[in-house]
Amino acid sequence: MLRFVDRLLGWLAGGRRLSFAVSPAYLSVLEREITSTQEIEYGCDDVYRLLDQFAEAVLRGEDAAPWMPLIRAHLERCPDCRAEFEALMRVLQGQES
Amino acid sequence: MTSSIQRGNDEWLGALTSSGDLREAALADLRVILVGGLRRGLAAWVEAGSPQLEALAEETSQEALIRILDRLDTFEGRSRFTTWAYKVAFRIALTDLRRKQWQNVSLDQMLESGADEGREMAVVDPRIGPEAAVERRDMLDQITRILQEELTARQMGMMEAVVLRGIPMEAIAQKMGVERNALYKMMHDARLKLKRRLAREGLDLADVMATFEQGNASPGRVVKGEGG
Repeated sequence: MLRFVDRLLGWLAGGRRLSFAVSPAYLSVLEREITSTQEIEYGCDDVYRLLDQFAEAVLRGEDAAPWMPLIRAHLERCPDCRAEFEALMRVLQGQES
Repeated sequence: MTSSIQRGNDEWLGALTSSGDLREAALADLRVILVGGLRRGLAAWVEAGSPQLEALAEETSQEALIRILDRLDTFEGRSRFTTWAYKVAFRIALTDLRRKQWQNVSLDQMLESGADEGREMAVVDPRIGPEAAVERRDMLDQITRILQEELTARQMGMMEAVVLRGIPMEAIAQKMGVERNALYKMMHDARLKLKRRLAREGLDLADVMATFEQGNASPGRVVKGEGG
């Protein structure tokens, strides 16, 4: 894992500085991203670990667990984890009906 | 669905960690459950009933069974066993789909930035006067300067690729040879860094946006004073 992070850090740090000027359309995206950024956020691994519990809780209409808002926030931001959640919910909802 | 498939968590774990016929029956049942779940769950991404979906469900179920057996000790019993197993299978299937979908797109193409598109059009808006246009340009220049100082083009390109163009993080991570989780954390760090800098500069992007939307450039509403 450390090797991956080192590689990623090196790659990011090696990127050239920005040469573009920000457009209003891009500003809109940036605003949404920055406003919703929290000091503590769940990563994809955190969400994956709890996704099955989360999906069943959502199906039961429960929202009490303290980690649920962190999962919701991640799912709003991460299209990859959101897709996995949606696929899981499709199956669970199909079982309920 | 046969009655043999209706197992509780302990029964699943007991059967899958046993040997002989009990284990084989549980594996066969689990495969049937996974194939059915994959068909239903992936219908939003692959046409229902298509040969592609059938093949994906069959192949994924085999790979998922191997991974499930390998990671049985990570199942904490906080959900139904089958929900946990579906989760494992969907991770495999969707990762495979993303990989195939983006295999012919290079990392550079994914991260190509179009951040300055439409800039002049917005700044030189005929509905606003020249003074307002100058103020708008100054605002964008100020934000651009902050971005230039805080982020690299790659960090910005990744944010744009994921948020604006909907490119899966998994696709970018695969091209970079890193885990998706590591990529997410790096992007979180970049966003945090930018958020803190904007706060220090007293800049509120929502106010900047409102200025553009209303066609009323007023830097006094934007810069709120120097922060600590």
